[in-house]
Amino acid sequence: MAAEPVKRITDIGPPHYEKFLHPMVKKNYGMWKYHESLAPGVLCHVAESGDKLFTVRAGSPRLLSTATIRMFADLAEKYCGGYLRFTSRNNVEFLLDNQANIEPLKKDLQAAGFPVGGTNNAISNIVHTQGWVHCHSSATDASGIVKCVMDALYDRFTHENLPAKLRIALACCLNMCGAVHCSDISILGVHRRPPQINKDLLPKVCEIPTLISSCPTGAIRSATYEGKPSVEVVEEQCMYCANCYTVCPAMPLNDPENDGISIWVGGKVSNARSAPKFSKLAIPFIPNEPPRWPGVVDAVVNIVEVYAKHAHKYERMGDWIERIGWPRFFELTGIPFTRYHIDDFRFAGTTFARSTHIRF
Amino acid sequence: MAVTVEQMAEEMYEMIKEAMGKKSFKATDLTKAMIAKYGEGEVSKDDCKHAIRILIDSGRCVYSYFGGSFITLPHKEGAANE
Amino acid sequence: MADETKKTPKLDELEKGPWPSFVKEIKQARKVNTMCDDLLGQLETSYEEKKGHWKHGGIVGVMGYGGGVIGRYSDMPEKFPKVAHFHTMRVNQPAGWFYTSKALRTLCDIWDRHGSGLTNMHGSTGDIVFLGTKTDELEPCFAELTKEGFDLGGSGSVMRTPSACVGQARCEWACYDTMKLCYDLTQTYQDELHRPAFPYKFKFKCAGCPNDCVASIARSDMSIIGTWKDSIQQDDAAVAEYAKKGMDIQKDVCDNCPTKCMSWDGKKLTIENHECVRCMHCINVMPKALRPGKERGATILIGAKAPIIQGAMLSSVLIPFVPAAELLDTIKELTSRIWDFWSEYGKNRERIGELIQRVGMANFLDAIGLDPVPEMVSAPRDNPYIYFKKEE
Repeated sequence: MAAEPVKRITDIGPPHYEKFLHPMVKKNYGMWKYHESLAPGVLCHVAESGDKLFTVRAGSPRLLSTATIRMFADLAEKYCGGYLRFTSRNNVEFLLDNQANIEPLKKDLQAAGFPVGGTNNAISNIVHTQGWVHCHSSATDASGIVKCVMDALYDRFTHENLPAKLRIALACCLNMCGAVHCSDISILGVHRRPPQINKDLLPKVCEIPTLISSCPTGAIRSATYEGKPSVEVVEEQCMYCANCYTVCPAMPLNDPENDGISIWVGGKVSNARSAPKFSKLAIPFIPNEPPRWPGVVDAVVNIVEVYAKHAHKYERMGDWIERIGWPRFFELTGIPFTRYHIDDFRFAGTTFARSTHIRF
Repeated sequence: MAVTVEQMAEEMYEMIKEAMGKKSFKATDLTKAMIAKYGEGEVSKDDCKHAIRILIDSGRCVYSYFGGSFITLPHKEGAANE
Repeated sequence: MADETKKTPKLDELEKGPWPSFVKEIKQARKVNTMCDDLLGQLETSYEEKKGHWKHGGIVGVMGYGGGVIGRYSDMPEKFPKVAHFHTMRVNQPAGWFYTSKALRTLCDIWDRHGSGLTNMHGSTGDIVFLGTKTDELEPCFAELTKEGFDLGGSGSVMRTPSACVGQARCEWACYDTMKLCYDLTQTYQDELHRPAFPYKFKFKCAGCPNDCVASIARSDMSIIGTWKDSIQQDDAAVAEYAKKGMDIQKDVCDNCPTKCMSWDGKKLTIENHECVRCMHCINVMPKALRPGKERGATILIGAKAPIIQGAMLSSVLIPFVPAAELLDTIKELTSRIWDFWSEYGKNRERIGELIQRVGMANFLDAIGLDPVPEMVSAPRDNPYIYFKKEE
């Protein structure tokens, strides 16, 4: 090994957040009293001291060039002393102490193509993964679908006119880097065919025992190929999770005609009113349709609009469906109920109807 | 202590070298092997952590990831393009 | 610059429409680094062929660390040589994702010098994601980052970068200092963040109240969710003000209470606080009138994860209430016991939630020295297959 030229700095962790806090935030830290919504995307937090902090929230595509980040920095310097933050849903927030700067900032953001909104009963930004931009295991794209869905739901981002919050998330495969399994609407990339074993590559890049034990259904068995140890897949046992591909790159599941998208509904993470819950399957498969993804866009918009029309005030998607029942959900949305909607993995029975409580 | 941290690092290195291509070890595997060999009272988890750190910081071993992190000898990875 | 002439008709479709376009961002970054030309070219190919073209690397990183860099290689390096390497660097975000414009410019300058000029603000776990660079640039980029006070985040079998909601910095509902806890945990476990020593990943997420804006109950192995023990703070004059302004207190507030612990007689709101489950609904609806109580702290839950491998899980209650002042010490003690048990018994790629499923929650509690309490279950078991202990 070559000698290290200079002393390397390691293990310092992130900078301390206090360095980046607006003076008003620092002054009133832990002493906020209440907040109000002034308009979609505009919040006012009032401190015990009487100080008022204004937040202007704008949507972003998450994938940002340094040029755009610098443009946000310019706006922050122009209007709020350079103080800004990002939200857990990839929105950018400007923190202002001068109310008079709200409207000019909004104008500048809109002129730059960044919509202000995403608060309260608006649809916030879509949490999502990398997709074809950067992922090796994606069953679908991410950024492109998000772009098309948000184009269609743009007015729902800039207006707070839904019965409750509505949170959409997208993961381009079952690894779910975006952990979309508890969202009002989840868009999830799925494979539908077993891994195609690259038998020549396999012994060079994979450990067979590790590969066999990676399969949650025991569908991978040892086999020999040209006299060398290899594996085979019991295809009926495969549910296309792709865990084998993660531990062994010689087991790709990508298949342009059979990969696609599933839609799940009714999950949430907030404890408000009802307990957090998983999203449940609404649509098992929509083919990948780049570049504008019409099937997914129509499906999501349909679910959003049916929910907006029928849910009561404060009802999240899942609360609404529980009140009206799943049969009515399928009827109202026009989505066909199929054999794929009935669970057959572990704990499947917990989703069977175990009562005669049936609405006719 | 029946064995020094440096000696353990050597033994871990031999284990990794021996099994290269057949089985990859995680940090926990190496730690368990040393404790099994020398006894719980003789070597601690922190000693083993220290030994692994010696291997990594010297560049004799590297971390690798394939559905979980392992400790291996430096090698050109399968996916790498020239 | 022949590549500039490459056509991307499919991606160009994604520049249309009102929502900000990631394709525009990539095109903008071409001015920084011509890697982005080949990124566009390869992405256009994916859009034509309906499949991804990346290979996963498992070995690139910075010296001494086993996490923070995700190796990525094009599977069409002849056609798109500029993205033959296209690795991700995860940079640990400041707690709460607060920045000054100066800090952002510093990050942008470093990344323009060493990478594609493309980022994610932020990645799913919370890191700043620097998207796309070559192996040779990793170490110099890391050196510049640490010089400016930034460090890498986690990947692989490590403690992943902890994250926190905005907490007490801008939220009246934060029941503990989420950003401080997040920062303290990150600093305490620097070794566990950078040097993989676990069966698989471990995530902490700090949410200030049961609204859980960082999705900790769905996305973290240890979820720390703020709550309070005493009564909701109530301002009767402000309640009356909401009623006067047209809020239907009975319908909007009381009828939506999951435990029906509230009543409204047209003048006064009465809350049976011992029956309240701290769901936040009434507080969310009337933030000027109702606030979390004063005896604040957090519930600690364990085990959430996405589906791979044994199925998705939500976290479940481990300690119903820890006072805010005791949170860091309690979590450190608890975590060391949990990590010991997990390192001993966890299999490769087995998350703590899956290990608990496999060995049983009761055995897990024994191992970490916690007594069972009824808050841990939605109901006691309903099957009689009980593993009685011999000594009892």
